[in-house]
Amino acid sequence: MLRFIVRRGLLSLLILLLAVSLMFGMIHMVPGDPATVMLGPKATPEIKAEFSRRMGLDQPLPVQLGRFYAGLVRGDLGVDPFTDREVTVIVWEQLPYTLVLVLAAIGGASLLGIPLGCFSAIRRNSLLDRLTAVMSVAFIAIPSFVVALYLLLWLAVKWRWFPAMGAGEAGDYVDQAYHLVLPAIALGLGWVGYIARLVRASMLEVMEENHIRTVRAFGLPERTVIVHYALRIALLPTVTILGLGIGTMLSGALFAEIVFSRPGIGKLLYEAVLTRNYPIVMGSVLVTTGFFVLSTLASDIINALLDPRLRERQGTGK
Amino acid sequence: MGLAGSGIPGVSWAVHGNTLHIRNYQDVSSLDSVSSLSAAEGIISAAISQNLLQFKSNGTWDTRFDAAEAFEQIDDTHYRFRLKPGQMFSNGYGEMTADDVKFSFERMVDPAMKAINRPDMGPLSHVEVHDRYSGTFVLHTPYAAFIPVAVAGPTGEILSREAVTAVGGRFTTDPPCSSGPYLFKSWQVQRKTVLVRNPQWNGRKPDFEEIHVYAMPDPKTAEMAFEAGELDCAWISVETVAPFKNDMPDNSSIHVLPSGRNYWLGMNQENPALADIRIRRAIQYAIDVEAVVEAAWFGLAKVSTGPIPEGMTGHRDSAMIPPRGNPEKAKQLLAEAGVKLPLRLRLDVNSDSLELTAVQVMQWSLRKVGIEVEIHTQDNSTFLTIGREDLGDRWRDVQLFMQSFTGLADPYYSLTWFTSAQLGLWNWERFSNEEFDRLSDQALATTDEAERSPMYHRMQDLMEESGCYRFITNGVMPQIYRNTIKPAFRADGYAMLREMRTADSRS
Repeated sequence: MLRFIVRRGLLSLLILLLAVSLMFGMIHMVPGDPATVMLGPKATPEIKAEFSRRMGLDQPLPVQLGRFYAGLVRGDLGVDPFTDREVTVIVWEQLPYTLVLVLAAIGGASLLGIPLGCFSAIRRNSLLDRLTAVMSVAFIAIPSFVVALYLLLWLAVKWRWFPAMGAGEAGDYVDQAYHLVLPAIALGLGWVGYIARLVRASMLEVMEENHIRTVRAFGLPERTVIVHYALRIALLPTVTILGLGIGTMLSGALFAEIVFSRPGIGKLLYEAVLTRNYPIVMGSVLVTTGFFVLSTLASDIINALLDPRLRERQGTGK
Repeated sequence: MGLAGSGIPGVSWAVHGNTLHIRNYQDVSSLDSVSSLSAAEGIISAAISQNLLQFKSNGTWDTRFDAAEAFEQIDDTHYRFRLKPGQMFSNGYGEMTADDVKFSFERMVDPAMKAINRPDMGPLSHVEVHDRYSGTFVLHTPYAAFIPVAVAGPTGEILSREAVTAVGGRFTTDPPCSSGPYLFKSWQVQRKTVLVRNPQWNGRKPDFEEIHVYAMPDPKTAEMAFEAGELDCAWISVETVAPFKNDMPDNSSIHVLPSGRNYWLGMNQENPALADIRIRRAIQYAIDVEAVVEAAWFGLAKVSTGPIPEGMTGHRDSAMIPPRGNPEKAKQLLAEAGVKLPLRLRLDVNSDSLELTAVQVMQWSLRKVGIEVEIHTQDNSTFLTIGREDLGDRWRDVQLFMQSFTGLADPYYSLTWFTSAQLGLWNWERFSNEEFDRLSDQALATTDEAERSPMYHRMQDLMEESGCYRFITNGVMPQIYRNTIKPAFRADGYAMLREMRTADSRS
């Protein structure tokens, strides 16, 4: 198992480095002069030149990238040229908002999607199954920003059941939880349908397998057969997808953060790209890519824990 | 009583009472006058700091005393001030003195500070301190914008020498002390800035215990938050004014204020396709500006007569080209220039929906005279560099573009971007005129408004005669607010937090 984790960890690190380097090149290819955007029209050419020097923009791209990685090793992601604050501090301030949102969304989607998928498989072609199928496709088809807008319009603006903006007062967890409800639903609703469909398909496949027939032949209760034998195997592809889902949601959180005026890493990155604030862009990309890679790694490890065949295959290199 | 955090479904989440909740159009990045970049910061700085003079909230650029109890111009290069005694800096930094004024202004012109806003100070040389409360500003040369831009503008905020020195000479989002009617309490990235009433303030007691200023770049989000009862005042988009007026949120009003933003269509006269002045003049005459303003600003804005907005020295009563244009004259000019129709041109614009609508109407106007325009939309950061000479040769390909910027309280700022010195920087039209350059310098050094105004009239005439510009509008800034407050705005529509009152306020 340890060998499996080390191999996967090294691969994840390589993916992270490649992704960040690629992003570094891409953002520098987009036209736009950070000094002009950030300093405004009044800045003299001398001040702009000084600013570019301070940001290291007067150096060739490979040198800038090298400096970025050298700083990264020291835990230094540079300084936000707008506020003179450390990028690390800014990113770590924003990250919890997005992580909480993503975890609430994926957690909620799993809590709803897994039982729905499971019941649909058990009661195949029943009314519940058909209803779940229709709703799942509808949830998947509606873009999260549309869901966000309608939730905002109905539940916040019209009925005023939930707050329309912000993330709640610092230290007031009840307030923060209430501020989380609508953005989490907006972000996670599509995943409810997706997870339900996936679990249903997996369950149907697993329920037909020989070992389930064998277990049933032993006379074990149906509930035990489903929960302990079928669902455990059927969840494997779901766990993989959830790992990817967390990564996708990290970028998808942007819509929810904009619509609900929530702080977060997506909004931070979006505004940094618009203003060509390279240090913030790189810091945010590093962290989001890092979490994407980590969540994928975590899903691989969980899969391996759930299915010994996987770790044996990876361990022997087969 | 506030209900925040009550978590009771069915109850509005708005927190009113003694706290004002207001939208800011972007987050702040620096509240220090040497490095503040936008009005978003000025809105907050003006509430927590004092200038010698402040703008009035009566829709004009007139000033009144703030920290000063006397302020007079002695001659073209000397201005004398006297501070009100007993004005305190917070956090134990003591009383405001003339030495603090000297420190605040001289750091702006100190080359070592590399102040972004250095140009606003003009030819300021130094400040002479006479005693604890009085002093004299000394300028190298006359500077007509000294009061409206340097003294009353955001760059003129008076900081405590001791406090700023204690934090290393500059700061960004954590001002070491305050001296205005409100104190700086906290700033949270992308969320809000919180101000609290200053107990040491010896002027009229501020009506609000706290002011929460929310960083909300998206106006649509702000509009929804207002409807949900979570904001008391918000700058909204022009297209929302009519729907709101038809179905006004409870207990609310809308005030459509003029904005200080200048919108125009620019033409690069050094591009071969536009080198013939008759073609540029034809474009000027082809565009129906009234239709543009009606479509993009929903009829809320007025057609502008030039970059200098109404109410400011140098504003022209009318432009040379009629607002609706003259398509027949445009066709005649194109024929005289021997242009083979259709003439195909490129028009660059940033991705702002309002400006995009405006250029689509221009496209329609131009098509009627045989000019086919291809619109190229770019994000603002890319767009801002298309005319820059130091970033490659892209400026040569620029033909038509829609541009806009927000002015300050003096006409010089509206026209300074079109001088020859700005060629390849912000002067993308490549307009270069000796008389214009001379008048620009002369007008800035003329403090007599009666003498100054005709100079600016002439400068705008020269711009229009060059064929490089079709002036569109100075825009509007619609503000929606609860009737529980008495809002206050500057002449360019920005909120004046320190002047905001509750509706039951006595004054």
